[in-house]
Amino acid sequence: MDQSASSPASIGLDAVSKSYDGRVRAVDAVSLDVKPGEFFSLLGPSGCGKTTTLRMIAGFETVDTGRIRVGDRDVTDVPVHKRDMGMVFQSYALFPHRTVAENVAFGLRMRKVPKAEIEERVRAALALVALTGFEDRRPGQLSGGQQQRVALARAIVIRPPVLLCDEPLGALDRKLRQQMQFELKQLQKELGVTLVFVTHDQEEALAMSDRIAVMNAGRIEQIGTPTEIYDRPRTRFVADFIGEINLIERPGGKALAVRPEKIVLGAPGAVLDGTIDSASFLGGQTLYRVALSDGRQMLVKETNAGERPVRSVGDKVGLAWAAADGVELEA
Amino acid sequence: MADLSAPALSVPAAPVLSPRRPAVSAIAWAVGPALLLFVVFFILPFGVMALLSVLTGNPAIQSGVTFTAQHYERFFEDSLYFEALVATLRIGAITTVASLVIGYPLAHLMARTHSRIGHALLLMAVIAPMLTGIVVRTFAWMTLLQDRGVINTTLLSWGLISSPLKLMYNEFGTIVALVHIYVPFMVLTLTGVIGRIDERLEQAARSLGANRTRTFLEVTLPLSLPGILAGSLLVFALSISAYVTPFLMGGTDVLTLPMLIYQQVGASFNLGFAGALGVVLLAVSLIVIIAYNNVLGRFAGGEKMA
Ligand SMILES: Nc1ncnc2c1ncn2[C@@H]1O[C@H](COP(=O)(O)OP(=O)(O)OP(=O)(O)O)[C@@H](O)[C@H]1O
Ligand SMILES: [Mg+2]
Repeated sequence: MDQSASSPASIGLDAVSKSYDGRVRAVDAVSLDVKPGEFFSLLGPSGCGKTTTLRMIAGFETVDTGRIRVGDRDVTDVPVHKRDMGMVFQSYALFPHRTVAENVAFGLRMRKVPKAEIEERVRAALALVALTGFEDRRPGQLSGGQQQRVALARAIVIRPPVLLCDEPLGALDRKLRQQMQFELKQLQKELGVTLVFVTHDQEEALAMSDRIAVMNAGRIEQIGTPTEIYDRPRTRFVADFIGEINLIERPGGKALAVRPEKIVLGAPGAVLDGTIDSASFLGGQTLYRVALSDGRQMLVKETNAGERPVRSVGDKVGLAWAAADGVELEA
Repeated sequence: MADLSAPALSVPAAPVLSPRRPAVSAIAWAVGPALLLFVVFFILPFGVMALLSVLTGNPAIQSGVTFTAQHYERFFEDSLYFEALVATLRIGAITTVASLVIGYPLAHLMARTHSRIGHALLLMAVIAPMLTGIVVRTFAWMTLLQDRGVINTTLLSWGLISSPLKLMYNEFGTIVALVHIYVPFMVLTLTGVIGRIDERLEQAARSLGANRTRTFLEVTLPLSLPGILAGSLLVFALSISAYVTPFLMGGTDVLTLPMLIYQQVGASFNLGFAGALGVVLLAVSLIVIIAYNNVLGRFAGGEKMA
């Protein structure tokens, strides 16, 4: 594959902090290590510092404290244009006064690549994102998904060891988004490039990433594989932010977390007893809201398959789960 | 063109969005306001002026008026008039270029200053001179540039020069004052356009390996061309039609067409010849403007892919 990256690089952030004009820290002592060739996501709610973190890696923002490393090179003080990273902006940031081919060729021209090679690499990059034949269009004449792919081609054609994407799929509709998620993941594997991907969409992060860093208010709450993050959340924030969860308060500020689909409904007399408050049919599953005797509510998801009793609102039920499915959260 | 058959061949699966040529249409839009100004303030008076320039007299107050080319013949027979035309265009061109060179960095700074206070201060600094009126500002320059003005007396007292520099009553002084007067127009026009350039485009260029200079030349400058064009046209139009400033600052050295026109109207009462001078000035400046537009338009298209 002639578009393959020079060779994927690791990325290391060592206690990186940043505050804007002396106010609260947008990014607070963030440390993380991205392995070469890894699909790494920064996930968190709006304003938690994902973009700021990515922009510091790219070099658009200076760090207040901490170091940033790419491979074994400390890039903390290296200016943007010498960092050699591909970047895909949420808004695509395509040059409106240049054609698709000129956009893609830009990074190569800056690197003084010979003309013939530029033409060849631009052609190959556009073929890779299925945009052959669009060379002479202007960005304004493309659909959102096509623009997104030009932005991607422009970033990967320089064969960067590291690709940074800030919510690149945010502006696409649901169907196109899912298709592009698949294509981006595929492309990342083919190129073998290290990819840092910013998103606030937990489903997107779970579906695409090798590992995820969940951020909250400028800090990293947890780093792990999608399964770890989903099945073994460490903090309340992570448990709550990813999917649906039942929290059972424990003395000392601790809590036990159980996913709704891990709970088995049975006859009363189980771990917890309650009454079905409401039932919502979700297609493949039914979501029950169960009121416990002490007034608390629990969510239970039951798969609509095989033999199972018909449940209706007001039924008395017992709730049980395997000990391994209950996760002790840190305070 | 070679690909006349293309539309028939490629019934596109992908939706073809309405084709447009951004460089040209964007410039056309930015020129809109300046064009409107032209229409309202020039077309109507121009109609009357053009008519008078081909008549032997004023039909409103005279009888027996006939069509004639005498006024135009007079213009081309005496080199004085042609030299005045050249001087007018030269002053206009130099003023425009100087306003652009001074105004662009200022406009860029203003467009990229995000703090409200900083922006307000800059805007004040740009607009405040406009509030003082042309005559006042011109007199201010006279006190600075005269033989016994601030600059010459200072340089003389320091012994840097032995006789006063000739800073005014010439084209130099005229242009200095004109630039000062018209720079705000340039800045305000440019600020609007530069402010609308998405900074992420510049960041994208940087991340693709362009240093600051390259980024400016490849992204910022081409995208500010509509503003450069609009601002230039505005300043050029204003400075070739300036009367007071060349009159006060130029002394006997500077003779521009507006001054000649004023003489013809005010002293010689020759409206026909004044009209002819006006028509010539307008025709020539239109040619200059169209040429400028074409050159910039070609530049905006950008070089073809490397
Ligand atoms: N240029 C800036 N000046 C001042 N404050 C900023 C600036 N950029 C971001 N912030 C602040 O820093 C914090 C983190 O912002 P950031 O853009 O990194 O969040 P984010 O996680 O990317 O959010 P979103 O999902 O909404 O894009 C926010 O509180 C934001 O208001
Ligand atoms: Mg963001």
